[in-house]
Amino acid sequence: MLSPFNRTWAITRKEFWHILHDPRSLMIVFMLPVIQLIMFGYALNFEIQNVALAVINYDHSHYSTELIDHFRGSRFFSLFFPDVLPSQINQLFLERKARAVLIVPDDFGENLRQGRSVAVQLLIDSADPNAAQHIRNYVATTVQLFNLNQKGAVQLPFDVRTTIWFNPELKSAYFFVPGLLALILVMISALLTSVAIAREKESGTLEQLLVSPVRRYEIILGKVIPYIALAFLDALLILFIGVVLFHVPFRGDLLVLLFLTLLYILAALSLGIMISTIAPTQQVAMMMAQSSTLLPTLFLSGFIFPLESLPRILQYISYVVPARYYLPVVRGVMLKGNTLGDLIIPAAFLFTLTLLLLIIAFRRFKMGLG
Amino acid sequence: MQAILALMRKEFLHVARTREMLMLLLALPLIQLIVLGYAITTEVKHLKLVVLDLDNSSMSRQLVQAFQHTDRFDFKGYLSDEAAVGNYLRQWKAQVAIVIPPQFHQDVRRGKMPAIQLIVDGVDGNAAGIAQGYAAGIIQKVMGDVALDLPWVLKQKRVSQTGQVVLLDRMWYNLNLDNAFFMIPGLVVVLLTIVPMMLTAMSLVREKELGTLEQLMVTPLGKHELLLGKILPFLLLTFLEMGGILAIGQWIFHVPMHGSYTLLALFTFIYLFTTLGLGMFISTITTTQQQAMFASWFVMVFAILMSGFFIPIENMPPVLQQLTYLNPMRYIMSATRDIFQKGSSLVYLSGDFLRLLIFGVIIFTAGIVKFHKRLD
Repeated sequence: MLSPFNRTWAITRKEFWHILHDPRSLMIVFMLPVIQLIMFGYALNFEIQNVALAVINYDHSHYSTELIDHFRGSRFFSLFFPDVLPSQINQLFLERKARAVLIVPDDFGENLRQGRSVAVQLLIDSADPNAAQHIRNYVATTVQLFNLNQKGAVQLPFDVRTTIWFNPELKSAYFFVPGLLALILVMISALLTSVAIAREKESGTLEQLLVSPVRRYEIILGKVIPYIALAFLDALLILFIGVVLFHVPFRGDLLVLLFLTLLYILAALSLGIMISTIAPTQQVAMMMAQSSTLLPTLFLSGFIFPLESLPRILQYISYVVPARYYLPVVRGVMLKGNTLGDLIIPAAFLFTLTLLLLIIAFRRFKMGLG
Repeated sequence: MQAILALMRKEFLHVARTREMLMLLLALPLIQLIVLGYAITTEVKHLKLVVLDLDNSSMSRQLVQAFQHTDRFDFKGYLSDEAAVGNYLRQWKAQVAIVIPPQFHQDVRRGKMPAIQLIVDGVDGNAAGIAQGYAAGIIQKVMGDVALDLPWVLKQKRVSQTGQVVLLDRMWYNLNLDNAFFMIPGLVVVLLTIVPMMLTAMSLVREKELGTLEQLMVTPLGKHELLLGKILPFLLLTFLEMGGILAIGQWIFHVPMHGSYTLLALFTFIYLFTTLGLGMFISTITTTQQQAMFASWFVMVFAILMSGFFIPIENMPPVLQQLTYLNPMRYIMSATRDIFQKGSSLVYLSGDFLRLLIFGVIIFTAGIVKFHKRLD
């Protein structure tokens, strides 16, 4: 009689062979994260630049020239001067030539010379509301600057000095590369394991496994172990690229990060296992894994948008998204130099979540086949 | 024709028999839509704020109070020393800290211009930039209020009597800057890509994996009929799905439709050639459903990222911007959003339409040719 260890190991070996015999999948598992990391790392940038600002200037004084020069100085805008009638402004938006239109009236310089206030109009294409808000704020600041320069500085009662910690240059890559680690790991782990058991079900080999002396938990364990190894290798690869290519600082302890990464991988794998015990076919398993990882990790974990800004209900839902706990870990260790003591709460949550998912998976596995 | 119908029936039966599948196909995208429709907001709110007030005067409290009366900041309390400030920021308990120096109010009255320290956690560069802007705005307002009480500031104000430039801004298309109006048409496109592409690829590969493709090939079905019978159900499903998404967009999120539904359907139809073609193509270069899933996942992430769905294309480095022209999703994304929000007619969208048509023809033909070669 074989020991439980031996039986588990046999399943693990079988699964390993299955992976190794499929070099295409293996290549995808390692190439995909690298390509995605590089693309995302460079593309994810919320700093708005080159906003096409159409300027329609009816004034011919040096005042308006000065105002426009204030807009020229920044990377935020790229100015152009279309020759259009006021009734044709809508076309600039429809043809996507302009994101905003600034209209300077013909009495602009005259009014300012006489010490009177004067209005300039700003029309913003708010189809993208976020960009629209940024444009409005930026133009308002620029106009304020122009006003200040006009009348000479008024002395302020006090001053503000801003210090930015951990990422003084506000580099997007520092924020997104650790985030991508979380996204890629959960997708690889959950997707791979979710189809691993569903595949046996679909091809009818699960029954064969079940009538063998192998216990159920041994099947699950044996199936999971190879993917822990794969995902862990992926994690190392991503970390390496992040530090070497994107120069993301690493201020904390590598061992702490690797330990908690392992915990995160286990959580993601448990999610995959749980899905595969529910799903009858690979297609269903994949759909479920895909929809429970990709978009929730992108939007309900703090990957892009801060959790605090979400509506209350979604904040509650986010408690079951594993990346929610892993993101402070990976960002904290890399950027803030967090220690294990700092991260004990997310670690505990991650552990509980893994346990919960595994319990559900084992129960389903027993019921579904009993 | 009858053969196609028979195959379609088989495909439908397959989908309908696995109840989970049908539920997933229809329900999952809709659930995602509802959740994400609420979630995707680029507004930054409830930033955690702590204060180290070394002055503790009515003036410093006035400053802190200004931060308590807004939902942009959540005031988490006063700290006792600098070390605590460091700990709060390091342990994610605060994102913004304000340090008010000792003798702040005396220095202000004497015109010595003391400096308040604003410390921002820069890990999330975007939120940090916004937080800085919010804080500066609030502090500036307090400055104005404080200045009114100071005799030496009043004198200066009377001297500077030049005209001011006032900015009148007007939002076009989305007056209240509602994010759902922007994101839901985008989500429509994302779901229209995921569902047909992944399902076509996996359904074709499944026959290969289970060895039933050979069985289908020895039936009297022609190759075209085989393909059509496989694809048509997903085409129908996609349109069904789209109806559901549009209904939810209107009923729950009140997304206005300023353009024509016919035009939207036309664009969707043209775009389906691309997604179905990609699905076919993926099915020919993969041998297992797992591979097909990974390949479509890769295409999808690339397509979503480079489409302007949530990262404006203008923000990307020039090389990546050039790359987005090769992404069919870029065109359907901008066209769908323009149809919804601006009510653009085909005249303004002809560029997008033409490119989508070209991509559709090329990708669909490539998919069919590759698929046929595989069968021979």
